[in-house]
Amino acid sequence: MIRRHLLGLAAATLALPGLAWAQGAPPAPAWAQGRPAEMAASPLAPHPPRLTVTPPERIPTNALRVPEGFQVELWAHGLPGARVMVRAPNGTIFVGSRGIGRVYAVRDTGTAREVSTFMQGLEAPSGLAMRDGALYVAAMHRVLRVDNVEANLSNPQPVDLTAAFGQATEPHHGWKHIAFGPDGRLYIPRGVPCNICEFDGERFALIESWNPDGGDRRIEARGVRNSVGFDFHPRTGQLWFSNHGRDWAGNDNPSDSLHVNLRRGEHHGFPWCAAGFQDPAVQGRVCNEFPPPVAVLGPHVAPIGTHFYTGAAFPEQYRNALFIANRGSWNRSRLSGFNVVVVREAEGGRLVMEEFLSGLRDDAAQRFTGRPSGLLTMPDGALLVSDEDNGAIYRITYRR
Amino acid sequence: MRLAALLLAGWALALPAAAQGPLDGAALANERQCGACHGLDGRSTVPDMPSLAGQGAEFLVIQLVLFREGLRNAPAMREPARGLSDPQVQALADFYAALPSGPKEDRGLLDAALAARGAQLSAARNCNACHGADYGGRAHLPRINHQREDYLAHALAQYRDGTRVGMDTQMNGVMHGLGDADIAALAHHLAHAP
Ligand code: HEC
Ligand code: HEC
Repeated sequence: MIRRHLLGLAAATLALPGLAWAQGAPPAPAWAQGRPAEMAASPLAPHPPRLTVTPPERIPTNALRVPEGFQVELWAHGLPGARVMVRAPNGTIFVGSRGIGRVYAVRDTGTAREVSTFMQGLEAPSGLAMRDGALYVAAMHRVLRVDNVEANLSNPQPVDLTAAFGQATEPHHGWKHIAFGPDGRLYIPRGVPCNICEFDGERFALIESWNPDGGDRRIEARGVRNSVGFDFHPRTGQLWFSNHGRDWAGNDNPSDSLHVNLRRGEHHGFPWCAAGFQDPAVQGRVCNEFPPPVAVLGPHVAPIGTHFYTGAAFPEQYRNALFIANRGSWNRSRLSGFNVVVVREAEGGRLVMEEFLSGLRDDAAQRFTGRPSGLLTMPDGALLVSDEDNGAIYRITYRR
Repeated sequence: MRLAALLLAGWALALPAAAQGPLDGAALANERQCGACHGLDGRSTVPDMPSLAGQGAEFLVIQLVLFREGLRNAPAMREPARGLSDPQVQALADFYAALPSGPKEDRGLLDAALAARGAQLSAARNCNACHGADYGGRAHLPRINHQREDYLAHALAQYRDGTRVGMDTQMNGVMHGLGDADIAALAHHLAHAP
């Protein structure tokens, strides 16, 4: 399937290091697999995360641009690494992170937001979900549950469900987004442990669903390289997920993509095909064997928050529209993403994608000033957008 | 680790002052006795203790936060990093980033064959792509020349074995599938790089 030279040789190196040396150059490592020779000396590397507090006067709120009639304000700050947001029944907003290992709690006093560090020392707690007053936290391969969470803000005693969920422990692409589906099951993706490689298709490149306390694992979607954002359509209940295309295949290929999972177990193409791009590093299957994405998001834009707007305060065309926070590119010589886009139904049910929040990417200077990450509809119809780089949360409202 | 144990005993006294202590990196390093392990000039002469001189400030900030948050597990660094505020972290990072680094004087004799094997591995895994043509690092990508060989080997093994939590998982992927002999070769090559 995948060309022998990618993995056959890796196995040989492990077994017979001396021999493999004698045979010449060692194989490409996991992270660089599929990296063509002409990109071998590329200086591209992921951007450094900012793990320290950004003072409010240095947060680029004033640079943010939204469509006519919308306003954007700085809603909370002092949450380095802020990513996913979920709302508990009594209004506490829990905010997950990756590098800094914290889960924050934000309480709105009406005039101000009080930010506290709710949990810390977790490895990439980027997945949060609420159910029956309990907060579920996915940190790499771990799954924790804090019961009656809003009554235990100062002293959480998590129940460790890790064993019941049996997640693969490989760190790469092991951070995850989680959410409860309309079927009451907990959806957990598992990315591939590499850039592109041969992998066990029963363990990786999946979106799974589980009983809330683990057990009864089902594979919902296959061939999903790495999804860190998904939601369920407010009317149909269908799973819509975004997916990250692989690195080192060029500046413009493949694109990140948005998919709808129409059937349980549907295969979405990885490693052979991504957003119509037939991967030259892999042979065996072709793009037209797989359902095409419903939207092509752009190369390396890195979709994170993938969220249906369920409020009533935005104009009609945004009701049940899907907002996507693009954290922004690193594996591309010119920056892409660093914005929020909206995918909505136009005339005749056609899907259109429009930029919704911009101003964080400076194309002339090739620098960025923020990284949109999580999205959340509030009960009053406002949309919250977290900014991982500035440790901030913006609030977007509409006034005619 | 006897040194570490001795130093730890002193922390209980040193800390309350430090928590609101000076924002001058040199003074803070002095107060928290960073130099005892990392060298007064940021160039370590103690086995297994990394040199910090000339290391990128962004890298140092991230690592100090990872120690403070208990994410990067290194018992010797638990007390020194405890309770550091973000501005203190920044001040310490700026202090060490500004100290000049250089090839280690006590790095021992070059084993040319071992270094050549390390160089070959480095080329195959593109270490230079991230760590710079001269391994001098940039921003959050650390300098990996001018470093102690024992520390380099230790760090590489930790990434391979998944025991070091870094700011991302790049290094876990890079080290995937390498043996102890490969790591020894890489560390020797890097320690003897100019
Ligand atoms: C008791 C000895 C000791 C003291 C005191 C100490 N350190 Fe360390 N430090 C270590 C050790 C050991 C490591 C390597 C940890 C490991 O194995 O991962 C380390 C690692 C580090 C690193 C990461 C370096 C790298 O290249 O990854 C930084 C930064 C650091 N220390 C800064 C400091 C600062 C700043 C202070 C003072 C506030 C300090 N240390 C005090 C022992 C010490
Ligand atoms: C894709 C980019 C990338 C490549 C390629 C890469 N590194 Fe790294 N390396 C990093 C990053 C990022 C870190 C810091 C990670 C962390 O926070 O722990 C790092 C950390 C290290 C450290 C720890 C330094 C210290 O002071 O603690 C060593 C040693 C190292 N790398 C060696 C290597 C070697 C040897 C290779 C090639 C075999 C290599 N790296 C290839 C990105 C890379």
